Amino acid sequence: MLNNISLGRYYPAHSFLHDTDPRVKTILYFVYLVAIFMIKEPVSVAVLAGIIILQLILGKITPGILWSTVKPMIPLALFIFLINVFTIKEGNVLFSWKIITITGYGLGRAAIMSVRLIFLIISTSILLTLTTTPLKMSDALESLFAPLQIIKVPVHEMAMMMSIALRFIPTLAAETDKIMKAQQSRGADYDTGSFIKKIKGYITVLIPLFVSSFRRADELAVAMDARCYSGGKGRTKLNPLKLTLKDVLAGIVFALLAVLVVVIDFTLR
Amino acid sequence: MINNTDIIEVKDVSFSYDVSEEDSGKAPRLALDGISVTIEKGSYTAILGSNGSGKSTLAKIIDILEVPDSGKVVIFGKDAGNDDLFWDIRSHCSYVFQNPDNQIVGTMIEEDVAFGPENLGIPNPELRERVDQALKDVGLYELRHRETMALSGGQKQKLAIAGALAMHPDILILDEATAMLDPSSRDDFLMLVEKMREDKGLTLITITHDMTEALRCDKIIIVDKGKAVMEGRPEEIFLSDELWKYGLKRPVKYNFAFEIAALTGNTITIDDLRSDETLIDSLTKMLQKPGIKIPEFIPEEESKAEEDIIMSVKNLSYTYSGGEAKAIDDISLDIRKGEVLGIVGESGCGKTTLISHMNAIFRPVNGDVIIHTKDGDLSCKNKKDTMKIRQNVGLVFQYPEYQLFDETVFKDIGYGLKKMKISSKEQTVRIRNAAWRVGLTEKELNASPFELSGGQKRRAAMAGVLVMNPGILVLDEPASGLDPRGRQEMFSIIKSLKDSGTTIVLVSHNMDEAAVNCDRLCLIENGKIKAIGTPKELFDKKRAEELGIQTPGITRFSGLLKSRLEKIYPRVKFTDMYFDPSMEAKAVVSSVNKAGDADAK
Repeated sequence: MLNNISLGRYYPAHSFLHDTDPRVKTILYFVYLVAIFMIKEPVSVAVLAGIIILQLILGKITPGILWSTVKPMIPLALFIFLINVFTIKEGNVLFSWKIITITGYGLGRAAIMSVRLIFLIISTSILLTLTTTPLKMSDALESLFAPLQIIKVPVHEMAMMMSIALRFIPTLAAETDKIMKAQQSRGADYDTGSFIKKIKGYITVLIPLFVSSFRRADELAVAMDARCYSGGKGRTKLNPLKLTLKDVLAGIVFALLAVLVVVIDFTLR
Repeated sequence: MINNTDIIEVKDVSFSYDVSEEDSGKAPRLALDGISVTIEKGSYTAILGSNGSGKSTLAKIIDILEVPDSGKVVIFGKDAGNDDLFWDIRSHCSYVFQNPDNQIVGTMIEEDVAFGPENLGIPNPELRERVDQALKDVGLYELRHRETMALSGGQKQKLAIAGALAMHPDILILDEATAMLDPSSRDDFLMLVEKMREDKGLTLITITHDMTEALRCDKIIIVDKGKAVMEGRPEEIFLSDELWKYGLKRPVKYNFAFEIAALTGNTITIDDLRSDETLIDSLTKMLQKPGIKIPEFIPEEESKAEEDIIMSVKNLSYTYSGGEAKAIDDISLDIRKGEVLGIVGESGCGKTTLISHMNAIFRPVNGDVIIHTKDGDLSCKNKKDTMKIRQNVGLVFQYPEYQLFDETVFKDIGYGLKKMKISSKEQTVRIRNAAWRVGLTEKELNASPFELSGGQKRRAAMAGVLVMNPGILVLDEPASGLDPRGRQEMFSIIKSLKDSGTTIVLVSHNMDEAAVNCDRLCLIENGKIKAIGTPKELFDKKRAEELGIQTPGITRFSGLLKSRLEKIYPRVKFTDMYFDPSMEAKAVVSSVNKAGDADAK
């Protein structure tokens, strides 16, 4: 089950979005982040959905891949939806029974909230994780935050840590799965029992996982040392980031589209 | 005299790892204790030694990954103690580690290869050329835009080699780099590395537990307790009787040859060990001498496994979600009570998927696994039986030491018992019994599992499964990563478990060990059972060729000798084959004896 984790997974392909400069994608991501949280009108949501579909096409992301990124978040989206439906008591009442009251306004709010979450996940995936390798992403962050180096922020080191963390997600997911299976063979049961019992049970997974992560970190550090890693100074790049006219145009067009969505939203209110 | 710019010189080097505050009262344990070795440029050297002997530390000193406490290291005329030469030396020495997952930095293949030269500040387009060339050299160029995690173990190690080659090193160090690979990817990997050595004039240093691998080298250095105790050409080293003292042993074919020499009253000389040819020549001569009298070889009664079936795997298939091909495909298999069943096959053939079904870790979707117990049959499909099944079938995964977690070894072993309704007194008895069966002492039981040595940890983890008193024990590569002595100890534990009536399913890569230790072997290929039978049936020359499996080293070598002898004694009959070197030697000598007697008459 953990093998299928797709959070932070890169999807190797050749597409317009894959080739777009990661710095542009990072900035766009923040633009869309703001847009997603500003809109609430169904029409603008629909327009945004259209833009996202366009991005999916430009990123050559298949529905299957998209589904595997969204799927793990469905329960959370559903949870948010239900919480909102049951707690918002304003607006015209559609249904009422004992303490449960469902209002039209509540339904709308709840829908918007869960849609936002789903949009957030999709945007993160298409603009960042699925179409950008962790190394490129860290290159982008390093480049975008480079000015902070003046005030002694270790930008390169932080970017490197992030890319390694992402690189190790599948490895550690596989390891977790392995340890769980091994403990299950010894009679561990992670599926039944009370909530507290389950949490306690996970200690038998977490301790070995921590120990092995430290061991891996240690070995990786030595391996990086052996490959002459000594920080960002004097490092060259196989694929240096190059901002082309195409990237700039793509950035401007998509940023304008985001602004358009927000404008539509505000005019409809 | 050899110019000192052509040698790696380690002189009187001592080194100890930092000790923690609370232990600082004690004298630090020396990982290296005044060690001196020289390695010539362009040579191919194996560093051997038991687990914890200091051999990896020695290699790290050569790459200046560790700085010696005392002594001198000079690499091709450059003094490693000189801070100005530090990066220069390290950039010309590349290091490939054991675990492929822990040395890959990049997510994409070409990014990872570029990591080293990027650190050296190599500018484009040279950087691009180096990366492409290195990838072409190891045969991964076509895959350069793929994810590193999608590669197999063997490919990941090739990627590590590409990352090393892209730095244009003079020295390449392999630190147990083949330990996690199956035999065919191991051969593949070694051929590649040896070719690179020839093409690029590399100095190759390999650390290994595999004695057959060490035979490929020009020179062997044996490290024990931080000292270089032996040094010489492989034939010199393997002539020595002292190997066992250092946790090592001879390659199987040499064991066999030494047995024959002993039986015929001869000794093996260094010239005999020059090559397989010379060795077979002299063995033939030894056997030709008339009047060898050895007691007639009476083959041991083969332990007949009971015909009772203890587990039946029925038409089992499994496909991983997202996977296209079936991981296992319609496997049917009966496991007999009291036998040791070996499951062999290449990495990724479905061995682990199969055994994961045996105690319902994977619940059968298509097909079923039935456990036959005294109290009736248990089906792995039946959720209610899960706990009972896991008590009946103990499953020990590969590298089980990574699952230890509790404060003490005692508590860790007892973990599984807590879920069973038994008194604490009974629990203690069971824990002690399990510890005794794997050879753990009282002192080790009270220690934290993280304080134990690698081999002890492995045994503690095994005891954690044995404590449930399973009737069937499934072991996935129980000896991987252990030195020859550790391996031997592991197999004697397995033997004693079998003798006490436990049925054992053993997954193994090593054909020699599988042949010696298993009653039956099940060969799996692409998720299907390709053949099943006793080792003698499967490794019969004709059958093995049909199946396309690699026969054990002993069988191959003994086969060469037998075919030579058959030419000399037309009437000689080699009726049987054995996989234990001393048994096989006795059988061969005895057959030749009989033929000789017949000729005399």
